Amino acid sequence: MMGMLNLVLTNISRKPATRLYPFEIREPFKEFKGRIVFNPENCILCGLCQKKCPPDAITVTKANKTWELNVFRCIMCTECVKGCPKGCLSVSNERAKTGAKEFIKIAVPIVDKPKAPKAAPSK
Amino acid sequence: MTTIIPFGPQHPVLPEPVSLKLEIDNDVVVGVLPSLGYVHRGLETFINTKDFNQTTYVCERICGICSALHGITYTRAVEKLFDTEIPERAQYIRVIVGELNRLHSHLLWLGLFADGFGFESLFYECWKYREEVLDVAERICGNRVIHSISKVGGVTKDLTKEHIDMLLKMCDSLEPEIKNVEKVFVNNYTVKQRLVGLATMSKQVAYEAGTAGPTLRGSGNAIDVRETADWDIYKDLGFKTAVEKDGDCYARTKVRITELLNSLTIIRNAISKMPDGEIETRIKGFPTGEAIMRTEQPRGEVVYYVKGNGTKKLERLKVRTPTFANIPSLLLMLPGVKLADVPIVVLTIDPCVSCTER
Ligand code: SF4
Ligand code: SF4
Repeated sequence: MMGMLNLVLTNISRKPATRLYPFEIREPFKEFKGRIVFNPENCILCGLCQKKCPPDAITVTKANKTWELNVFRCIMCTECVKGCPKGCLSVSNERAKTGAKEFIKIAVPIVDKPKAPKAAPSK
Repeated sequence: MTTIIPFGPQHPVLPEPVSLKLEIDNDVVVGVLPSLGYVHRGLETFINTKDFNQTTYVCERICGICSALHGITYTRAVEKLFDTEIPERAQYIRVIVGELNRLHSHLLWLGLFADGFGFESLFYECWKYREEVLDVAERICGNRVIHSISKVGGVTKDLTKEHIDMLLKMCDSLEPEIKNVEKVFVNNYTVKQRLVGLATMSKQVAYEAGTAGPTLRGSGNAIDVRETADWDIYKDLGFKTAVEKDGDCYARTKVRITELLNSLTIIRNAISKMPDGEIETRIKGFPTGEAIMRTEQPRGEVVYYVKGNGTKKLERLKVRTPTFANIPSLLLMLPGVKLADVPIVVLTIDPCVSCTER
């Protein structure tokens, strides 16, 4: 009986164990794998990320110079991040937003880098 | 005269679809006919389209609850195929994450089980404690349930000092909480009335039916693959197989609670013995030959068979999951049980239908 009374009193004085979800959002842990962030600056369209991705979520098209990620396919294994030789991919601990149409596919045009001027042939 | 009553595929206590046709005579079950195949996903054939590294991710998706242990067993099987030893630190990390898996699986089961016999507050209590384990797993691996910790040749993430402190803190806080839950499951009058003497299976019958895991150990067989199979690391972790003699639903529950406390001991000992160093070995080439690997999952022994043919894809992957081994025992336990007790008996084998059908 005393045990039960203790339990009742502690439960009355304690904060709720749950959160009021849409109003109170838990900060994600810093290790949490939320979504893949692509930085097109250094990408050389080598396609290694596409080759490593287990669910084929990435499509790299060299001809159109596009890099596409189907976020609904991505399983957040981070193989692409480890495989990219240029370090263009990283993991953010923010969750990928779902439902919005533009998040189904992210098409990132690869910016043409200005070619370095050729050194004048020495005479 | 007997009546046939369908139990499932959709039923409030069943998390996944399995159908049992129960032959009822006067409210008592006299015969059972199971039917499987509602969630078959063809994963064993699907691996023919993935290379053997990518297959790890497929194997982890066989089951959402023991995902890390599926990945660990698969990678260990492939490492055996290559005849490679991985660094010791990586093995310890695998053990720790595997035990986190066991903790959250057993806490989930205890909650579902309490819910199965109508003890809602106990259900919430168990799931509240499970949340602590999931938080730790999320901070170590980056995800709550699909941990993706294991890769062929080692592990994907190292444990930092911060992670280790967190693990030790979790062990300290979980121990009294599990003991609290244990008191209710073991001593509560109502719980005992529902469980003691229900669906008893003798030691011999459990052994001969090929049962696995807590269902086998609840009947007095001290068989745990962690102790017997070729994973030497468990031998130094101060772990003693949990066994109960009675073979009823109450005994199986007690085995699972003891295993929770065992897991905490294993995590603590693994942390204290974990050496520094590398966490992965580079494995090159393509596997040839065959290998079999066994590991103890929360539900029992899982067996992985892999066959490589010298290409980057495996030729064959075969998994024997513990629920598949436990279904014959269900057919032996259910006859003689009252219809109202069927959900409890079905839950005591901790059925995981998705992994049975893959
Ligand atoms: S993101 Fe990295 S791996 Fe992928 S195409 Fe670009 S450079 Fe290659
Ligand atoms: S995280 Fe994994 S699944 Fe997602 S895009 Fe990268 S490789 Fe593909």
